[in-house]
Amino acid sequence: MNRRHFLQTAALAALASATSSRWNLAMAEGSGSIFTLAYPTSFPDLDPATSFSNDGAVLANVYEGLTRYIPATETAEAKIEPLLATSWDVSEDGKTWTFHLRDGVKFHDGSPLTSEAVKGSIERTKKIGGGAAFIWGSVTSIETPDPLTVVFALSDPQPIDLIASAGFAAWIYAPSSHDKDNAWFNGGNDAGTGPFHISRYEPGQRAVLDRAEDYWGKVPEGGFQTVSFEIIEDTTLAQNMIESGQADWTYSIPFENLEAMKANPDLRVVVNPSFETLFGLYNVKRAPLDKVKVRQALSLAFPYDDVISAGTMGLGTRAKGVVPAGIWGHDAEAPIPQTDLKAAAALLAEEGVEPGLELVMTYSTTQALSAVAGELWKANLETLGIKLTLQPMAWEAQWQLGKSNPEAAQDIFVMFWWPTFVTPYDYLVSLFHSEEKPNFNLGYYSNAEVDAKIDEAAKLSGTDRPRAEKLFIEAQRKVIEDAAAVFMVDRPNVHIIRSDIKGYDDNPAYGHVTFVNELSR
Amino acid sequence: MELTRYILRRMVLSAFVVLGVTFLVFIVAQVVPSDPAALYAGPRPTAEQIEKARQELNLDAPLIQRFAGFAKAMGTGDFGVSYKSRRLIAEDLRAYLPATLELAVFSTGLALLIGIPLGVLAAARQGKWPDRLGSFGSIAAVAMPTFFLAMILQLVFAQWLGILPLSGRLSREISVTAPLSMMTGFNLIDALLAGRLDAFGDALKHLILPALTLASYPAGVAMRLTRSAMIEILERRHVTAARALGLSEPRILFGHALPNAMGPALTVIGLSFAYALTGAVLVEIIFAWPGLGRYVSEAILAKDFPVIAAVTMVVTICYVVMNLLIDIAQALVDPRVALS
Repeated sequence: MNRRHFLQTAALAALASATSSRWNLAMAEGSGSIFTLAYPTSFPDLDPATSFSNDGAVLANVYEGLTRYIPATETAEAKIEPLLATSWDVSEDGKTWTFHLRDGVKFHDGSPLTSEAVKGSIERTKKIGGGAAFIWGSVTSIETPDPLTVVFALSDPQPIDLIASAGFAAWIYAPSSHDKDNAWFNGGNDAGTGPFHISRYEPGQRAVLDRAEDYWGKVPEGGFQTVSFEIIEDTTLAQNMIESGQADWTYSIPFENLEAMKANPDLRVVVNPSFETLFGLYNVKRAPLDKVKVRQALSLAFPYDDVISAGTMGLGTRAKGVVPAGIWGHDAEAPIPQTDLKAAAALLAEEGVEPGLELVMTYSTTQALSAVAGELWKANLETLGIKLTLQPMAWEAQWQLGKSNPEAAQDIFVMFWWPTFVTPYDYLVSLFHSEEKPNFNLGYYSNAEVDAKIDEAAKLSGTDRPRAEKLFIEAQRKVIEDAAAVFMVDRPNVHIIRSDIKGYDDNPAYGHVTFVNELSR
Repeated sequence: MELTRYILRRMVLSAFVVLGVTFLVFIVAQVVPSDPAALYAGPRPTAEQIEKARQELNLDAPLIQRFAGFAKAMGTGDFGVSYKSRRLIAEDLRAYLPATLELAVFSTGLALLIGIPLGVLAAARQGKWPDRLGSFGSIAAVAMPTFFLAMILQLVFAQWLGILPLSGRLSREISVTAPLSMMTGFNLIDALLAGRLDAFGDALKHLILPALTLASYPAGVAMRLTRSAMIEILERRHVTAARALGLSEPRILFGHALPNAMGPALTVIGLSFAYALTGAVLVEIIFAWPGLGRYVSEAILAKDFPVIAAVTMVVTICYVVMNLLIDIAQALVDPRVALS
């Protein structure tokens, strides 16, 4: 090959390559019925019984539960919507729940939705006992008096209508799959009733869903035929993809990049409060944090507004106590402290805390927001003569330390909390109810009055929700008064979608889940 | 006969290497503070769930018994289940390994294709501008962090010029609307087997940038090694004789000198391959390449030891086999390397 020949070949190859990329572009423009999500994490478990991670984003488009939670807005109260169940009622003692199923619903294998299928699904989920199966803990038996009626008998009163709306472990799946194992589901098979079925699952790469035939629900005009969940861990890449139109939806873009994205007319940045609150649990078993006033002083020294502006670029919201906004039982009037270093100094002096106090705060290495909060808090505490040591740890190690001997554990345990199903009980019982052996109450707070209110409210959650709500709020006020924790910030949910997508609405009850059936282009 | 004995001896030695690695991985898993039962029980386990997981995983058994179980699992290739996802690890490896191997083989080939000719050129023009430029280039290639190079390549070829794709193994048009059926897991081979030239071209285009990123370091090393070996050989008498006979310069370089300088270049294959297997973590994340690197990085963050152990084992075996092949190839190419 002489030089001229070589150059000719190279030029032709370049031309061919350029032409083919034009062709690719043309193909991409024509593929209007595919909705592509650039998802920052993988989907480790597609088994509807055990999935308890981001896999929920895929499963929520494939499976359905008996009900769905619709969060409160400024104009409307939170409610539970019928899904596979059209109506339900509860006995007076709150221990027997009867659900009436939707007629004419079919699983993707063609079999009909029946009460037996519901019973079989929940029993398989309970039997395997992985993931969030504990939400069904109070269910002692499930009866099926007729093909469209399911009756749950409980050991103690629990709000099964709420539990059935959970984004994990509450999916109903076809009887033909009840004897299948985890590997069958993770091989890309599904057995749901949802608007899409799984066509292909390529671990670490993507899950492709196609529209299910005979879906019982409404499909909007111009709705999508195919959904592709592309696993894109690199946020720069995800940003590139959504900007270039290769993806229609993404999240976890760094807050500081959002301003530029807001200015881009092709994109819509949707900011919503999430149900994730950042807590710092005070170790009440260790001096001097065993004194209420010292804890109150620390909370007064917390830079709430600075954390919102520096840590979340102003997108986060002030945490109003234990239960975040949008969840029933949220206390909009909660008496939360404001940053006030003078008042903090006065309280510390009152308790005789001398300068030189050293405290250790642990948080998970993956939580950048905790690090920012810690640094800002540390600066404030320094002015009060308190040295705060920030100790980032792998979550497992942080949790392990927290669960060990409280006397030797951290002073402040920082973590996010989100509810497995939408109830104030999840937050209060997990974080502030007395525990014999610490599990998630990692401030070791114990107060009989609070315990009693939480337990009583839990019992009433299914039968007398207004009364339960009142008790939950009373319990929260006591927790705030005792300064059992510092309520740092409610994390914002930020999702970016292409602006030609219609019908998008984020539901924080289902973290980072997009219900693609409701969308169109 | 000598070759067979050599291979057998090397295989026995390799078995010890693998056993040693198994032992190390097991020990590390015991020493690092973590609670496998808590991981296995899920993100929000109750104390009872953790206890149940501890029993299921047999974590209270004596250390020796657990090592025996572990070694057996590793030896039979039944790596068990991931603590985090409870998925079968062998299934996962089937999905992730071909992607990494494809990238490793391709980048190794690319490293040699770039590094050796440049090394030859630099040696032939010793001290002149191609040599200086080559030296600068090779140092830059070795010194540049992969993530930086990856981003530069993405910026230039994907965003400015738009001639190569940004990420992934296949375009959405292929992977979502007209997928390749998985036979070997190597997209290039699968595309050829299926007679899908469109998919072949697409897979090739997706390979170029990540492979180039991974190839830069070994290409730099290959270039330096080839250059120094070539300089030494170009001073030999047989080269002078070839010159005296009036052979053309390319023929002398590639026909007579290079074969004698191939030894070091072959060593680079092993280096490059190992580098591609272990160094792929960052590159795979940046290019959204669904390979072992991404798989194991998630496992490391979660302290998912069965997965870490399985990947370590697979990488060790790939590396040991590759080294064995290279040693044999070297012995075949260069009679001075003795097999005994």
